[in-house]
Amino acid sequence: MTGAHLVQAPSPSENYETFFNGLWKQNPVFVQVLGMCPTLAVTNSVRNALAMGAATLFVLVCSNMLISLVRKRVPKQVRIATYILIIATFVTIVDYLIKALSIAVYKALGPFIALIVVNCMILGRAEAFASRNPPGKAILDGLGMGLGFSFALLCLGAVREVLGAGTFLGVPLFGPRFQPWVLFLLPPGGFLTLALWLLVFRAWQSRKERKQEQWRAAA
Amino acid sequence: MNSQAPSRPPLSTADGIKMVRLLGTVSFVCGLLIVITHRGTLSAIGRNQERLTREAVAELLPGMQRQVVYSVHGGELSKGEGSDRLAGKIYAGYDASGKLLGLVMEASERGYADMIKAMYAYSPSKRCITGFKVLEMKETPGLGDKIATDKNFLENFKQLVYDPDHPIVAVKAGAKKNNWEIDAISGATISSRAVGRMLNRSIREMAPLIERNLRRIEKGE
Repeated sequence: MTGAHLVQAPSPSENYETFFNGLWKQNPVFVQVLGMCPTLAVTNSVRNALAMGAATLFVLVCSNMLISLVRKRVPKQVRIATYILIIATFVTIVDYLIKALSIAVYKALGPFIALIVVNCMILGRAEAFASRNPPGKAILDGLGMGLGFSFALLCLGAVREVLGAGTFLGVPLFGPRFQPWVLFLLPPGGFLTLALWLLVFRAWQSRKERKQEQWRAAA
Repeated sequence: MNSQAPSRPPLSTADGIKMVRLLGTVSFVCGLLIVITHRGTLSAIGRNQERLTREAVAELLPGMQRQVVYSVHGGELSKGEGSDRLAGKIYAGYDASGKLLGLVMEASERGYADMIKAMYAYSPSKRCITGFKVLEMKETPGLGDKIATDKNFLENFKQLVYDPDHPIVAVKAGAKKNNWEIDAISGATISSRAVGRMLNRSIREMAPLIERNLRRIEKGE
């Protein structure tokens, strides 16, 4: 991120890095452990996880873009107020859009759509990235982070729905004799699944680091 | 915010005006965006709500060809949706020959977690409830939420008698003796009882009103 404002035209590799940073290396859920409230609350089915991911992605991309556009005009003292105003606007818009698209999804997500306003990941990206970078890069960052968040939600939603209800996107997987593991649809199941995924992610990361060290030592 | 460090020089009036102007402009643009979205989605949201209710009514009254909506206002029945969105509604369904099939009403009650909203069908000629469908609930998955899906539980509402002398009530699973009682789901007693209470309260309020206006409803006036 440093010194990005000095670069006139970012190179393709830099854009690539901005995008994949959020998707994988700095994944908001698995690496930064941000936005835990929707992550635990609405991932009891794949459909809900996808809807929440898409809503957050929309808010993140739009607010990043607008904040980046006005970044040079915002005095330091009122920047947080301005960012929250912009984020809240897009959350209200997404709230109307979901209600217009599907009432069933709207009811399933309940108060958690409005709570996207206080998702610290969005304000975090506004402050750490969008307010310091040109709109193009800010949009890429929003896309990367939003898709990374959606991917993480989908990981949780898939495990919880398959084990807790025996279905995937509402399609039964195991036939009528399967006894669903209801615990996974309840809040404790959310914590357990998140812990499981964090374990997998960390194990994979530390293995990668070990390999890199071995490679460096050999070189 | 730590941007207001004590060593910083005090803000000038020009700075203040600049901030107000910026916040004003941003608020204006944001307000405009919200209004545009609101106007743009208003009809789609209304259509969605309407479709949801229509589908629920059609499911509760199989064979329905025509539907007439009545709204309840201060103990009086009037045809049409009415302007008061909070007013109770009665959906009357008729078959192809224009015969009244039944009436569908909304009811709600506090369950184990938050309100349970439901719709039920009532047949004035048989004086019994003939169907029940949960619209909205947050009951515990795997336990309380069975009130929407459990076949044995829903069997209760195929012919649940409304008798002014006996309240509709949920009894312990398997203890049902009279046809105004509901067999509760074992493990979901609180949710089952809430369903009993909601139906009892709603039907006691609506049945006399329906009886008074039955001729009108049968003709669809």
